[in-house]
Amino acid sequence: MTAHEISEFLAPIRHEFADQRSLILPALRFAQEEQGWLPQGAMAAVAEATGYSQAYVESVASFYDRLYTEPVGRRVISVCTTLSCMLRGSDELLAHVAANIGTNGEGTSADGMFTLQRAECLGACDRAPCLQVDSNDQQGPLTHDAADAIIGALRADGAPTRYDR
Amino acid sequence: MPQLNSVYRHREFQDLLTLTGYERAGGWNGLKATLEMTPDDALYAFHRSGLRGRGGAGFPMGRKASFLPVDSGRPTYVVCNADESEPGTFKDREILDKNPFQLIEGVAIASYGVGCERAYIYVRGEYGHQWDVLLRAIAECRAAGRLGPDAFGPGAPFDITLYRGAGAYICGEETALLESLEGKRGQPRLKPPYPAVAGLYDCPTLINNVETLAALPPIMHRGADWYSAIGPEKSPGTKIFSVSGHVLKPGNYEIVMGETTLRDLIFDLAGGLRDGREFKACWPGGSSVPVLTAEHLDTPLDYESLASAGSFLGSGGCIVMDDSGCIVRASWRLAHFYRHESCGKCTPCREGTGWLEKILGRIVHGDGRLEDLAMLESLFGRISGRTLCALADGAVAPVQSALELFRDDFERVIQQGGSPVPEPMGVINA
Repeated sequence: MTAHEISEFLAPIRHEFADQRSLILPALRFAQEEQGWLPQGAMAAVAEATGYSQAYVESVASFYDRLYTEPVGRRVISVCTTLSCMLRGSDELLAHVAANIGTNGEGTSADGMFTLQRAECLGACDRAPCLQVDSNDQQGPLTHDAADAIIGALRADGAPTRYDR
Repeated sequence: MPQLNSVYRHREFQDLLTLTGYERAGGWNGLKATLEMTPDDALYAFHRSGLRGRGGAGFPMGRKASFLPVDSGRPTYVVCNADESEPGTFKDREILDKNPFQLIEGVAIASYGVGCERAYIYVRGEYGHQWDVLLRAIAECRAAGRLGPDAFGPGAPFDITLYRGAGAYICGEETALLESLEGKRGQPRLKPPYPAVAGLYDCPTLINNVETLAALPPIMHRGADWYSAIGPEKSPGTKIFSVSGHVLKPGNYEIVMGETTLRDLIFDLAGGLRDGREFKACWPGGSSVPVLTAEHLDTPLDYESLASAGSFLGSGGCIVMDDSGCIVRASWRLAHFYRHESCGKCTPCREGTGWLEKILGRIVHGDGRLEDLAMLESLFGRISGRTLCALADGAVAPVQSALELFRDDFERVIQQGGSPVPEPMGVINA
């Protein structure tokens, strides 16, 4: 992702903000779409496109759970484990997904296909226990078989063309 | 037990995901009525309706709007808080998913009242699907001239900018949200000044929750008096409750305030519990409120009644636990949430939430001592009320109340060497 591409993305919305600092978060989200995380080069490009220092841009990025400053898998699976989901078996679901993709709890599978993370309340307690793939619609209530089916379909799909996390 | 879909109009009408469908169902009548008033009269109507903030604090919406100075010489902003992240709460998600134009109309109505030409809707980062729905709705409104240079009449511009968060519970706190919207780390500000005086870009700003703003179109169409006559005098109108946990029919229920009890909500609307199970506890207004027991089940659902019962209406996210659940394990899980989501700015919260999780964790895992309960009690007052925002209070409330109401359970778990891992409930509503 180049600074030029980010600037082009920002051009139509620049006038919507009285302070250009507000562009940093949209720019970071846009930059993350390419690789699914934010390598140093992407941070530098965001800094150049917005006119802020790379150190500042990184300080913002590091605050937010869904901006990844380390590499993650081609798909990020978030299993909600907050109270409503816990009461409906989210811990077992998390363990089951981990076993399926071969991680020991949270982490990235050896083939780099999946990163599994436990999430705080995803706002889908009516679907508990639920999971979310990247920032797609939350799915649930899930039996372990249904979770396997979702993972199987993701394996068949491979990497997305753009990452929305 | 009256239900009234005033905000959830998508449950009454088809096709509210297109502008034409929304207009066919009476959409924009609220804004039309508002534009025939002066902004002052619109503000007065907000006030007279009695509508209170639906995000959690319950502050009167009209009063909040009236705090904005009219002669600051600076732009005025309206910001819609769509960062719904309170555990157990998923009511705004359904508005965004199914009835986005009513929210847009509500934002426009509020904006006309306070003289705002550009409003912002801050959407929680995880709500990717809802973001897409809103993007399409905004584009449709712009194409039809509902938003843009002549939105409020010839030469009277109004537009809405969507802004997407990136995963942080704290950004639902209004000043943290503003920080995030300004391109910063989402950490709460010292108040005062309140956002009404110095909010977004230091300008006068009205911040309201999705449900609050989406309540405005019917209020302005049917009249403030219509709304204020629904339910109790101090808590008028309808409120959406999200019910989750150990109930057979988890979901959102829009009810008339004060005329439905907690028991009606849980055992009638939400289908009650599994056969053979007893009610144990519920957190009626999201997880940041004191827990309630079976003896509170006949409490009417409105701000005053829930406060009298010792809890809060909060966001209306009602989490229900039956007797298969362990109150200590539940408290520990909530403590984990607040420790994870503490932004770290205030020491009592940053350190205190860590201690709460650690102590509850060792009790759950069999390493607790009876002295831990006294240590927990000594912590509450050192965390609560000593921070910039309410996250710390929210972390303490469910734990402190659980310890007060279920002390025997805490002692038993310690004496029995931990909390047994619960049997999974299985999927009962697939």
